[in-house]
Amino acid sequence: MEEQRYAIEMRGICKSFGSVAANKDINLNVRPGEILALLGENGSGKTTLMNMLSGIYKPDSGSVFVDGREVAINSPEDSKKLGIGMVHQHFKLVDVFSAADNIWLGDETSGPVLKKERYNIIHDMAQRFGFDIDPRKKVYNMAVSEKQTLEIVKVLYYGAKIIILDEPTAVLTIQETARLFDVLRRMKAEGHAIIIITHKLNEVLEISDRVTILRKGEYITTVDTASADEQRLTEYMVGRKVELNIERPVVDKTRPLLEIRDLTIKNDEGAVAIDKVNFYIRGGEILGVAGIAGCGQKELCEAIAGLRSIESGQMIHKGDNIVGLSPKAILDKGISMSFIPEDRLGMGLAPSMSITDNMLLKKYDQAKGPFVDRKTGRAEARQVIKDLEIVTPSTETPVRRLSGGNVQKVLLGREIKAGPNVIVTAYPVRGLDINSSYAIYDILNQQKKDGVGILFVGEDLDVMIDLCDKIMVLCHGKVMGVVHAHKTSKEELGLMMTGALDLSNKYEDRPAGIARDSRIEETKEVEE
Amino acid sequence: MKNRQPLFHVVKRDQAGPGRQLLAYVAAVVLALAVGAMLLSVQDVEPVTFYRQMLTMGIPGSRYPWRAVENFIRLFVPLLIVSLALALAFKMRFWNIGGEGQFIIGAICAGWAAMKLGESLPRPLVVVLMALCGALGGGLYGVFVAALKVRFGTNETLLTLMLNYVALYILQFFAETKADWNFFLDLESARPKFAKFPDNAQMLTIPIGPFNLNLSLVAAVVLCVLIFVYLNYTKRGYEIAVVGDSPNTARYAGMKVGKIIIRTIFLSAALIGMAGAFHVSSAGILSASVTNDVGWTGVVVAWLAKLNTVGIVVASLLITVLQFGCQTASTTYPSIDANFANLLQGVILFIVLAADFFTRFKLVTRSKTGKEAAK
Amino acid sequence: MNDSMSVLTLFLFNIVLVNTPLLYGTVGEIMVEKSGSLDLGVEGTMAVGAIFGYLAGCAANSLAVGLLVSFLAAGLCGLLFSVLTVSLQANQNVTGLTITTFGLGLYFFVGKGIGEKWPSMTGASALVNGFSAIEIPVLSKIPFLGKAVFSQNGLVYLGIAVSVLVWWYLTFTKTGLRLRAVGENPGAADSVGVNILLYKYIHIIAGSGIMGLGGFYMALYMSGSFEGSNCWINGYGWIAIALVIFANWNPVLAILGTLVFGFFNTLQIYSGSLAGTFPGALGWLSAVPPQLYKALPFLITAIVLIASSVRKREGSGQPAALGLNYFREER
Repeated sequence: MEEQRYAIEMRGICKSFGSVAANKDINLNVRPGEILALLGENGSGKTTLMNMLSGIYKPDSGSVFVDGREVAINSPEDSKKLGIGMVHQHFKLVDVFSAADNIWLGDETSGPVLKKERYNIIHDMAQRFGFDIDPRKKVYNMAVSEKQTLEIVKVLYYGAKIIILDEPTAVLTIQETARLFDVLRRMKAEGHAIIIITHKLNEVLEISDRVTILRKGEYITTVDTASADEQRLTEYMVGRKVELNIERPVVDKTRPLLEIRDLTIKNDEGAVAIDKVNFYIRGGEILGVAGIAGCGQKELCEAIAGLRSIESGQMIHKGDNIVGLSPKAILDKGISMSFIPEDRLGMGLAPSMSITDNMLLKKYDQAKGPFVDRKTGRAEARQVIKDLEIVTPSTETPVRRLSGGNVQKVLLGREIKAGPNVIVTAYPVRGLDINSSYAIYDILNQQKKDGVGILFVGEDLDVMIDLCDKIMVLCHGKVMGVVHAHKTSKEELGLMMTGALDLSNKYEDRPAGIARDSRIEETKEVEE
Repeated sequence: MKNRQPLFHVVKRDQAGPGRQLLAYVAAVVLALAVGAMLLSVQDVEPVTFYRQMLTMGIPGSRYPWRAVENFIRLFVPLLIVSLALALAFKMRFWNIGGEGQFIIGAICAGWAAMKLGESLPRPLVVVLMALCGALGGGLYGVFVAALKVRFGTNETLLTLMLNYVALYILQFFAETKADWNFFLDLESARPKFAKFPDNAQMLTIPIGPFNLNLSLVAAVVLCVLIFVYLNYTKRGYEIAVVGDSPNTARYAGMKVGKIIIRTIFLSAALIGMAGAFHVSSAGILSASVTNDVGWTGVVVAWLAKLNTVGIVVASLLITVLQFGCQTASTTYPSIDANFANLLQGVILFIVLAADFFTRFKLVTRSKTGKEAAK
Repeated sequence: MNDSMSVLTLFLFNIVLVNTPLLYGTVGEIMVEKSGSLDLGVEGTMAVGAIFGYLAGCAANSLAVGLLVSFLAAGLCGLLFSVLTVSLQANQNVTGLTITTFGLGLYFFVGKGIGEKWPSMTGASALVNGFSAIEIPVLSKIPFLGKAVFSQNGLVYLGIAVSVLVWWYLTFTKTGLRLRAVGENPGAADSVGVNILLYKYIHIIAGSGIMGLGGFYMALYMSGSFEGSNCWINGYGWIAIALVIFANWNPVLAILGTLVFGFFNTLQIYSGSLAGTFPGALGWLSAVPPQLYKALPFLITAIVLIASSVRKREGSGQPAALGLNYFREER
C-alpha cells in the first residue's frame, strides 16, 4: 500500500460558537501536490474550518496534523510558521500601506531596516508568478480585484506550502481567474497543497483533484473529482429531498404588492452584489429566494428596507416608488424586514435590552405622550412568548441572554405583530429546532392567508420547495430564474444556484420576474 | 508543539451576575484603602486615625458641623450633576470628555446673567435665569462637537479635550484683563479680581436651624429623578438606549441617529453648564479654578457607576467623601496632601477596571472547552 | 540695537529651552498612539517620571541615573495602561484619565511626604552640570541663531535626537512598519503573524518612558523646587496630546510643532518686552491678551482636527484603529 503523508490532515474537528455548532466532527486531508476543493452551502462551516488552520479560531476538540506531525495552532503566527497561508475572503490589508509594505509586514528574511529594493523584490517575485502588481500603489487606491491579487501574492511570497483560498474567484474576472488557475496548477506541480473554497461547480471540476463536501457543519464525503459530475456534487451539497410535512395553502393572489425592476446594488467592498434583478411579490404568496452564501441576499434585504442605497433600478410598492425613502417611511408603508445574520444579534434587535423593549422597537413612537408604552410592550411580549413558545425567565430578560432560537422568535414575533403587508424575512429558522421551525412556517402561512406578500430568503431547499409558491434562484447577484415550487426539484435548484443552469430566459416573451399585470406601467401613465 | 498549548484562552462572557459586580466594587474600595494604609504607614501616619478623620470629614467634634456639611454639598452637587450628564453621552458611546469646558462656559454665562441682571431682578428669577444661561452656554459648546461628529465623523474625544482648554483660557482672560468693558471684575480692586455677585444672584438656601440647605442640592436630586425617568421611561431615553446598544438596529427601526446624538449631547452639555451655574451661584463669585476638576472626575464616576443613575449617586458620594475627607484630614497631617484622594481614586478605578474584565470575559482552559463540546 | 538683538535671541532661546518637554511628551505619545492606543495619561505619566527621576538623580548625583529612573518610572505607568487596556480590554479613555489622576496624586504624595528632607538641586552637581548649556562648536557662533539653538543644554539635543530616531524607527524599520500596521488594522497585522500583544506592550511602555524623560527635563528646568500647589508638568501633557494631532503623528513634524506651540507659549511671557524693544513693528503685541497665546495651541489643534475630518484625506497620520481594543475572535 502506497503510504503518502498528508500535507495537512484534520481529524474530528468540532467548533461551536455559544450554542451554535459550526463544525461537527469534520475530517479533511490534502496531499502535497494536490488541489482540494472544499464545497458546501451557506453556513456549512467551510470558512470556520479554514480559520482554525489559519489560527483565527481554535477547535474545541479534534486534532490537526501537518506533515504527519500533530500540531497546535494557537495564533496566525503559528500557522504561518507551519507553512500555512490563507487568502481571506475579507481582505486583511492595511489601507494606507503600499502593496509592497503589506507583504513586507510578515517578511521574516530581510534585515530590520526597510530598503527601497523591497519594491523591486516584490515586483519581480509577483511577476514570476504571473501577477502584475504595482508595489508602490497604496491599497486604498486599488480596485477589488487588485486587492485580491495582492492577498494571493502575499501568501505566495511567504512561501506557504499549504495554501488556502476562501472564494478567491468571486471578485476576479474570467481572465484573472484563468490566470489564477494557471498559478495554482504551477504551485501544485511544485508540490504545494492547495485548499480552495468555492461553490462554482465548473471551477471545482476544472481545478481540483478531490472534493470535500460539508453540509450544515457536518462532513459529508470526499470524492475524486475525476469520478464526479455536477449532478452528483450538487446532490452531496444539498442532500436528498427529505419529505417534510409543511402545508402550502392555496390562497387567492392579489396584484403585485412589491415589484423590483433592474435593481443593481453594490456591497460594502464596492463590488456588484445584486445585478439587474427583476422580481415581484403578490399578496397571498411566498416567494422563496435560494442562493449560496453572500449572493446578494443581505444587500437585497437591506435595500428593500431602505438601509442601503441602490445603484440603479426601481422598487415599487403598491404602485408607489420606495427608492430613496427613509427606513421609517418604508416601515410606515407596511413593509417589514427581518434578517437573521450569522451572529443572530446584528440587525433588528438591541441585544442588551429586554424582550419588552425589543417588542417596541418599531412602534415606541406611536404611544401618546412622552413615555414609552411598556404596558403594551409587555403584553405583546407575553403574547409572543406564549404563541412562539419562547423560553425565557421573564419578559424583562435582555435578548442577548436568550438562546439563539428564542432570539429569532422574538424578532419574527415582533415583525408579525406589526401587521405588515409585505414581509421580507431572511433565514428565519436559522439554527432552530424542528418544532420551532414548524411554528414559524405556520406563522408565515397564516400571514399568507391574510393576504400578506412574503419574500422568504432561505437556506434549506427542502423547506423552500414545500413552503414557497415560487422560488427565485440567485447566483452571484444574478437571477438564474424563477420556478414554481411544486414543479421544481432539488437538483434543478442546486444546479441553478451553482450557475450550471440558467432559466432566466425560459419564456421568450418576457424575462423572468416581470408580472403580467404590473403596476409599474400604470404609474408611468399617470405621470404622463 | 502539542505541549505549547496555553493554559487558558479568553472568551466573551454572555452574562454576569450583578452580585459579582457589586462584590468587585466593594473589594476595590477595600483594597484601595489597604494600599492607601500602606502608603500612609510609609509616611509615618497612623492609617486608622487618618481614615477615621477622612470618613467622618471632621464633622464630629467640630464647632460648626453644619458648615462642613454645607461645604460638602457644594462639592457634591456639581460632581453629581456632571457625572449624570456625562453618563447620558456615554450611553450613546459618545466620548464627551469636555465636561471641564462645558462647565466653565456654563459658569461664565451664569456669571454674565448674575452681573447684568442681578441688581434689577428678584432673587429667585435671577437664580433661575443664571441656570438657564449656563445650560444654554454649556449646551451650545457641546452640541458644536456633536454636530461635527455626526456630519464629518470628527473624533469627539480629542475635540472636546481641546475645547476644555479653550474654555479655560477664555475664563482666565476674563479673570486677568482689567478693562472698562469687563464687568466680571471688581472695580474697586487695583489688581484684576473677580467681583462678588450681587446678592440676588446668590443661590437660594432653606434655613433648617443653624444649617442652610443649599437649594442646588434639591435641584440636583430632582434632576437625578428626572434623568432616571427620562432614560428609563421616555421615548427619548429609549432611543438613547437603542442607539448606544446598536446603531444599526436604531437605523433599521427608522430612528434618525444623527438627530438623536445631537439632541442628547445638547442635553448632556446643557446639564453640565447648569452645574457650572449652580456652582458659581452657590459660591457667589467666579474663580479661575471654578471646575475643581469635576469634568475629569465625572468621567471616572460615570464609569465606576456603569452609567447607572443610582450607581452615580453612590459613586459621586464616595468620591466626594474621599476628596473632602482628605482635604479635612490633611489639615492635621502636613505630610499628607488633599491629592491623596486622587491616589486612592486612581487605585480604586484601576482595580474596578481590572475586575470588569472578569465580568465581561471568562478564561476557559482547553480541557474544559473540550468537555463542553462533548456534552 | 544690540539690546534688541539680545531680547530676540533670548526669546528664541527660551522657545527651545522651555518647550522641549513638550517634544518628549509628544514623541512618546506618538509612539503609543501609533500602536492604536489613545493614552490620555500623558500628564500623570510625565509627573511620575519627573519626581522619581529627579529624586533618583539627586540621590545618585548622576544625570544618567535620573534619566534612566524617569524612563522606567514612567514606563511603569505605561505597563499599567497596557495591562488594563491591552490584556484586560478596559476602556482607554477612562484608563488614561485615571493614570493622570493617579500620577498627579502620587506626585504630590511623594513630594509632600518627603517634606523637609526634599533634596535641592544645588546639592546635585551632576544634575546642574547636566542641565547647563553645551555650545556646539562652529554652529553656536552663528549670529543670534547660534545662541538660541546651538547653545542649549544636552537634554534639548537628546530630545531632538530621540524625535529623529523615533521617526526613523517608525518610517524605515520593519518593526516600525509592523507597529504602524498594528495601529491601522490589527486584524491584518495579526493575520501575517505580528504579535499584537507584544507590539502594543513594548511601544506603550517605551512611549511612556519617553514622556517620563520630558518630565525629568521639566524637573531640572524648575530647578527641582517642589511646590505643594503646582505640579512641574503644569499642563504640558495635555498640550502634548494636542501636538500629536498638530504634528500629524509624525515625530519630525513634532519638532516643528513644538517650535510653533512653544512660540505662542513663550510669546505670552515675552510679548511685553518684545513690544517694548520693537515699538514700531511689534508694539501691537502688548494689546493681544496673553491668554490667547495659551489658548492658541488648543484652538489650532481643534481646527486641524475638524479640517482633517472634513477633508477625510488619506494622508492623515491618525491610526485608523486609534482608541479601539483588539479581540481576535470578534465576529
